[in-house]
Amino acid sequence: MSWNLYLPLAGNSINILLLFGLGGGRGLSLRGVRRGGRLSHDPALDHGGHPVHGGRGLGLQPDCGGLHLGLLCSLPPGERGLQDGAFLTIGGLLGGTLGVQFIKLLRAMGNADFVIKITYVVMLGVIGFYMFAESLQSMRKKPVESPRVEAPAKVSLYNRIIQALPYQMKFEKSGVVLSPLLPLVLGVFVGILAAIMGVGGGFIMVPVMVYMLRMPMHVVVGTSLVQILFTCINVTIMQSASNHTVDMILAIILLLGSTLGAQFGVRLSRRLKADQLKILLASIVLLVMVQMLVSLVLPPHLLLAHKGGH
Amino acid sequence: MKRFINLSHQAVWLGLVVLLAAGLPARAAEPVLTISPAVVQIGAFFNGQTVTVSGTIPAGTQAVLEVMGSSAEEHLMRKGRRAGMWMNVGEIKVQDAPSLYLVMSTAKELLTAAPPTATWGYRALEKRLVFSGKIEPAERQEFLKQFLELKESEQIYASRPGAIQLKAAGGDASAVAASFPLPSNTRPGAYKVCLSVIQDGRVVSHNCADLTVALVGFPAWLAGLAYQHGVAYGVLAVVIAIVTGFAMGFIFKGGGGH
Repeated sequence: MSWNLYLPLAGNSINILLLFGLGGGRGLSLRGVRRGGRLSHDPALDHGGHPVHGGRGLGLQPDCGGLHLGLLCSLPPGERGLQDGAFLTIGGLLGGTLGVQFIKLLRAMGNADFVIKITYVVMLGVIGFYMFAESLQSMRKKPVESPRVEAPAKVSLYNRIIQALPYQMKFEKSGVVLSPLLPLVLGVFVGILAAIMGVGGGFIMVPVMVYMLRMPMHVVVGTSLVQILFTCINVTIMQSASNHTVDMILAIILLLGSTLGAQFGVRLSRRLKADQLKILLASIVLLVMVQMLVSLVLPPHLLLAHKGGH
Repeated sequence: MKRFINLSHQAVWLGLVVLLAAGLPARAAEPVLTISPAVVQIGAFFNGQTVTVSGTIPAGTQAVLEVMGSSAEEHLMRKGRRAGMWMNVGEIKVQDAPSLYLVMSTAKELLTAAPPTATWGYRALEKRLVFSGKIEPAERQEFLKQFLELKESEQIYASRPGAIQLKAAGGDASAVAASFPLPSNTRPGAYKVCLSVIQDGRVVSHNCADLTVALVGFPAWLAGLAYQHGVAYGVLAVVIAIVTGFAMGFIFKGGGGH
């Protein structure tokens, strides 16, 4: 039996075991840090010869189906910030639609791959350094400063700005008073990132909700999942219709691989200390970031490339 | 008189037969070409396929085999350095570039040291390609080399000197045999396989056969759905992802989520 599977949208065949390995690696990383699987996953596909822009749509599907929906259903109703997430979701849908058109424009101009790579370098750099620093801090047994959600005594400029925004309303589940414009705009931003990077947006949405919207952590998880789910569905359908970049077969195999990988991840994560695992994953994320950065800085082997990827 | 007319008619016909017979050696010089398989099917587990070509050429001649896809205008981007980073800085169009070009020869020098007048191989291709867009005339040679390297890295262009086996077939003919791998990224479409007979540095005759590459089965259905009904494909992708997610969650309950 051939271990290769033909992908009609990519116009090439790929080894099934390699796909399972990639998916499994993603599952392992997800178990370790509960984020970042996509961030190490899409660059890995790129390095494996799969078009970078082709990864956008396919990356969305495992997020939509295997991970976020399942997790969302497992949360108690109190932790699903449906009302709170509505504005983020609307923003995410708008942003995702905008992002898909942005990628279409970039592909026509011929610089889509560059924008995607540079976005990854920035995001991987920020997240990798943050994870690394946080893990080192924990390993040195210094007290880690937990995010303080209560308002500081002195009203900051940021607080003054968000309080000055119109249409202030109370979000019951989160217990915060905000203008719906803020989650709407942030949702648009995350939606654009979802379309460009092929990520669900949770790795940005969670800190955004904690630090910028001042929402309590237990509500953040469910709210983030609601927002990601709808953004993913929207961007997947938009990418299918506009850019034809959703490779369904590839996505399903990666999903199966990541789910199986997550089972091994559970066992591995029990043997390793959380900080050790986190520092290992931070190192991988940083290595990928450095490799991508080097590929952008060093002269390429060929000075010609296909317009809009392969 | 009637008998004389009949005889003269017979003489005319005989003359025609002799003339045709005189022309036969030229027809016999045309190579015979057989391809196996003539139709390559891209199914769910397709990972490229080796195609075998066999035929006969006149004894004492050499041969070149070319596999060509349809020609089209290629839109490429040239890379340049901006703010310390390499990115695409301008479009270069390449006209008349075949979608696939594989060339093989009996004698190595037919490809490695082809005469300037050669109508086969990379030398002929170089003359045929027209570059336009963000490219200076002085840069043509450099980008031509880059173009061929790009295509070779994708395995859709290849030059294989000496890859055709030549054997005496008895009489005044020689047997030729070659095989070439069609890469897994070969696009579905119609291809030409041409065998040219080379004598004294020029093509004296050639014969072409069709090679068809077609999507079949599940890949054909999926590609049709994706390109002709993009929204339906997207919805299906989401539904499958959700169902798979639920199934995985059910199988690995409590252990697979993140």
